[in-house]
Amino acid sequence: MKLHEYQGKEILRQFGVNVQEGRVATTPDEVRQIARDYGDAVVVKAQVHVGGRGKAGGVKFSPTPDKAFENGEKILGMDIKGLTVNKVLVTKAVDIDAGVEYYIGMIVDRNVQSFTLMASAEGGVDIEEVAAETPEKIVHYRVDPVTGLRPYEARAVAIQAGFKGNLNKIADMMVKLSQAALERDAVLVEINPLFVDASGTPLALDTKFEIDDNAMYRHKDLADWRELEAEHPLEIEASKYGFAYVKLDDGNVGVLGNGAGIVMTSLDVVNRAGAKPANFLDIGGGAKAEIVYNAVKLVSKDTDVKAIFINIFGGITRADEVAKGVIQALKDGILTKPVRMRIAGTAEEEAKALLAEVNSPLIQMFPNMFDAAAEAAKEANK
Amino acid sequence: MGILVNKDSKVIVQGMTGREGASHSRAMKEFGTQVVAGVTPGKGGMDFEGWPIYNSVAEAKKATGANVSIIFVPPAGAADAVLEAAHAGIPLVILITEGVPTVDMMKAVQEVKLLDAQSREAGGEGVRLIGGNCPGLVTNGEAKVGIMPNKIYTKPGRIGLISRSGTLTYEAAKLLNDAGMGTSTTVGIGGDPVIGTTFADVLPMFEADDGTDAIVVIGEIGGADEEAAAEYIKNNMKKPVVAFISGRSAPAGKRMGHAGAIIMGNVGTPESKLAAFKDANVPVADTMPEIIDLVKAALNK
Repeated sequence: MKLHEYQGKEILRQFGVNVQEGRVATTPDEVRQIARDYGDAVVVKAQVHVGGRGKAGGVKFSPTPDKAFENGEKILGMDIKGLTVNKVLVTKAVDIDAGVEYYIGMIVDRNVQSFTLMASAEGGVDIEEVAAETPEKIVHYRVDPVTGLRPYEARAVAIQAGFKGNLNKIADMMVKLSQAALERDAVLVEINPLFVDASGTPLALDTKFEIDDNAMYRHKDLADWRELEAEHPLEIEASKYGFAYVKLDDGNVGVLGNGAGIVMTSLDVVNRAGAKPANFLDIGGGAKAEIVYNAVKLVSKDTDVKAIFINIFGGITRADEVAKGVIQALKDGILTKPVRMRIAGTAEEEAKALLAEVNSPLIQMFPNMFDAAAEAAKEANK
Repeated sequence: MGILVNKDSKVIVQGMTGREGASHSRAMKEFGTQVVAGVTPGKGGMDFEGWPIYNSVAEAKKATGANVSIIFVPPAGAADAVLEAAHAGIPLVILITEGVPTVDMMKAVQEVKLLDAQSREAGGEGVRLIGGNCPGLVTNGEAKVGIMPNKIYTKPGRIGLISRSGTLTYEAAKLLNDAGMGTSTTVGIGGDPVIGTTFADVLPMFEADDGTDAIVVIGEIGGADEEAAAEYIKNNMKKPVVAFISGRSAPAGKRMGHAGAIIMGNVGTPESKLAAFKDANVPVADTMPEIIDLVKAALNK
């Protein structure tokens, strides 16, 4: 689960990280009031789960409360990459020129089978760009998942990254970041920029925080923080059914299958067939007809989808259950777009027999995934 | 022949009495695997379809001499089940469970590695964890310790298979089977970001196995396991290796089902994996059926 900046900052605050003061507003009047309360220049920041909100005009410096009101009006209700801004975070402005901006982050790292702490003196910018262009400017350090980061390790990393300021305070912030990541089951947590003022004191100006969905059961207090309106409506519906679903841009073929690997390969096959996948939908293992029915229903709701490609290799999943789900969707009038499918494995013959009985041009079965995808692509590109 | 498991492997099932544990225990038995007992805390002493159930792995091991454990325990207790098996001295632990919190896996994997090192130092056989979120492993014609459909393993052969994806493992095993080549051992290592055994850990076992002539590696986007595998192959492998990479058209930054299948920055991109395999002289199939052609070509060299 992705957290908003204000939520991530709240967690870091709970772990003792020195976080820039700020409050959330949902109306321009509230924005003005917060600016008045602070009695100083503020920054109004859109709270949406997308990157690049600054470039999209979602972050604005506001020297006066009236300017803050104006910026609040501009940003609230704004559309950033398909998501509407319903909340802004209003923070006290910081004179960036009076200090330095660094980057620190913790990320789950497959290669070291633990968290990697990353630190860079190149803060305040897109860290992925730094990673791509000047990777030597980022220090990587494996954190022991049992002990967490120890202060001496943090100091060594800070020194290696070339951080200036109060080393003990900066290291302490890194240690607390590591505690937050481990105890709150983060997938990724970043402080960027990490602002170090003239006195050498570090302050977290912005944060990214994402929590491992598999661990949400032990963070019930955070589950209330999930804001469904901030996510894609079809993705919300998919999560209700327990599907792994991702909406993809510019696609016209709905893609569903059983297992992440086969669905990823199905996306590749649709691309090769000259169409574009509109989504990724994994129905999981052992799906019964009802699950397939819901999957078809979900994908059919997507107006970008012109045809559906179903790719199943049945082990635990039975092909006849898949066929039953699709046929029921057809009977209920939910299925109005052509479905081209390949179902191999368990109960393949039974599935064929069921489809022959229905005999609808909307549903066709093929012996291999390439032919099925090619037909789906042809239908979608019509 | 083959690696890791064979007809002599004695398998216990942690979580045997649960729905998944029960059905796969039966399927493994049908395959011919020596399933010797189950472990379900609180149900010790019970007879489950002819299998004795024990309260702990240690008891089950003592009574049966088991040397492999397969785990079907729900996510919240799965990492603990791994540690129980490892501390009881089971040398091969296979975690099937999907959805285990990553932090739990980090801690468990680290502890298993420590136990492994200690055991080896003391002259023991070590401890290996495979998975989680994996389909398990099969030595064709001998034993299955996993959840793969039995009927795709009808032709024992001499091709080793390692895969991050469950369904694509089935797909590849069936293709090899249908092509008349068959498989030696199939190892599903799992698609999660933190797993017990990687491609580079399995490759040397196949290199040393007299029953394997060539190896197929089924990778996917995200992580750098494929790159590490390519590096290992380049420096150490004499047997031919053929690769396939799933998710080559997936957009960056989106999580594609597998928690590990996400491209972050320039790490784990299809381009970096293709380049690494190219550098190691490993042919990469564009489609799954092409794997067969590439394996045939590699064997005829």
